[in-house]
Amino acid sequence: MLSAAATAGEKKTPMVQLTLPKNSQPREGTRWQKPSGAKNLKKIRIYRYDPDSDDNPRIDTYFIDPDGCGPMVLDALLHIKNTIDPTLTLRRSCREGICGSCAMNIDGLNTLACTKAIAEIKGPIKVYPLPHMPVVKDLVPDMSNFYAQHRSIEPWLKTVTPEPRAEWPQSRTDREKLDGLYECILCACCSTSCPSYWWNGERYLGPAVLLQAYRWLIDSRDEATGERLDDLEDPFRLYRCHAIMNCTNTCPKGLNPAKAIGEIKAMMVARQ
Amino acid sequence: MGDHRQLRPRPLSPHLQIYRLSITMVMSIVHRLTGLALYFGTLLLVGWLAAAALGEPAFAIAQAIMGHWVGQLVLLGYTWALFHHMLGGLRHFVWDFGAGYGPARYVLGWLTLAGSTILTALVWAFVWFGAAIPLSAGG
Amino acid sequence: MDFRTSYSRVTGLGSAKQGTRHFWRQRVTAVANVPLVLVFGFVILTNLGASRTEMLALFANPFVAALTILMLLSAIFHMWLGLQVIVEDYVQAEVVKLVLLVFNGFFAVSVGAVGLVAVLKLMTGG
Repeated sequence: MLSAAATAGEKKTPMVQLTLPKNSQPREGTRWQKPSGAKNLKKIRIYRYDPDSDDNPRIDTYFIDPDGCGPMVLDALLHIKNTIDPTLTLRRSCREGICGSCAMNIDGLNTLACTKAIAEIKGPIKVYPLPHMPVVKDLVPDMSNFYAQHRSIEPWLKTVTPEPRAEWPQSRTDREKLDGLYECILCACCSTSCPSYWWNGERYLGPAVLLQAYRWLIDSRDEATGERLDDLEDPFRLYRCHAIMNCTNTCPKGLNPAKAIGEIKAMMVARQ
Repeated sequence: MGDHRQLRPRPLSPHLQIYRLSITMVMSIVHRLTGLALYFGTLLLVGWLAAAALGEPAFAIAQAIMGHWVGQLVLLGYTWALFHHMLGGLRHFVWDFGAGYGPARYVLGWLTLAGSTILTALVWAFVWFGAAIPLSAGG
Repeated sequence: MDFRTSYSRVTGLGSAKQGTRHFWRQRVTAVANVPLVLVFGFVILTNLGASRTEMLALFANPFVAALTILMLLSAIFHMWLGLQVIVEDYVQAEVVKLVLLVFNGFFAVSVGAVGLVAVLKLMTGG
């Protein structure tokens, strides 16, 4: 999986950049025609970036009739794609909050377009890709770094004891410890909401991956807890978490990555 | 891979510019800023102690600076930073013990803000108007 | 061009196998700071406008002197650890980072030394 260095983070500045680099600053884009004969109108402002042109990203303005499309923001986006502007590019699949593909920044918060209701949003709907990510096209960010980080925590059961004939047994209480963790769909809403991840995303694992790490750390069947902790014992991988809480505030599945990270820190202290 | 377009760096998606602020995020930023302010504020405290140790003339200068309205304003800010950072720290303790991750996280943020402001007001009410209150009675 | 894979970049130089001690010390000094700073602040508040002679008398009290020294030590250690985190968060150029981290240590130790000497001098009557 080569990410061919076409990432925004390639050129390092001495200090973290709180503003956007020149090539990333969005310009005012096209204002598309209002649908004729609509009683209700909803204004939607969408971040657009075309990798085949030399232009900066732009913000296009669309108008839709909410009565003429489904109730969710994803419905609105697909409505635009189908009836106004077929070039609009986004990831989506399940349209029911289980695949995590349509994670994006809507109305200032990261969430899944398929579970965010249009009616919940007052005023114009602002749609951006997940924050502080290299943009491939429009609402599609490059997730290579995020997936590689997930791979790095070895998210599978690791055992030394010879495998039992049937299965690895687990008590009810131990199984319950995985509740609130196994539901994570790796949409990256939390990680890309985290300022610490924005500034140090190459070294800090971020809330989603740390929640996954914790999911394996407390799995009673896993036999690599110590090694897992060893790998996380790092000022950047784990300890860039400063409890800003954006992750927990934004998780579209209602999970609590900040708490999971707190539990990892407690495990670190406990084994000292 | 031969297309030169691919060599063009991808843009970075907007972040701070577009992210909706929450009380937890703002209190986290302020916790950091007050920490930074206190870092350099230590110079004031140590400078004041050093002035007192140096002798009468240095101490007189230090007292004059702190008595000036600018000095008082700085000390007022120092007090608020101190209380805010302290309450923010206590908030972190709650989290370190595995509590306060639910809806309480928002309450803790507002408490940090309100608490630091109230405590600062109390201290400075005492500083400016406390001369009338006898210490033995007023604490 | 950098043809390293994402995974290679993520694993980087491996885990530093440390970080918890820093975290722990920051919390321990924070715990210590709360009572120390509150009591010290109270002592200062109740002696507002004291003359230098009164200051000397105050610091001649070994409890006040010890309290001040403990407060300075704990607070300065805490801020040393704290600024280290801030520098690590925002400074990416390795050389600049190194210089700032060293400066941070110098600053903390210097401020601490001046504070301690001042308290000792006050304690022993100026």
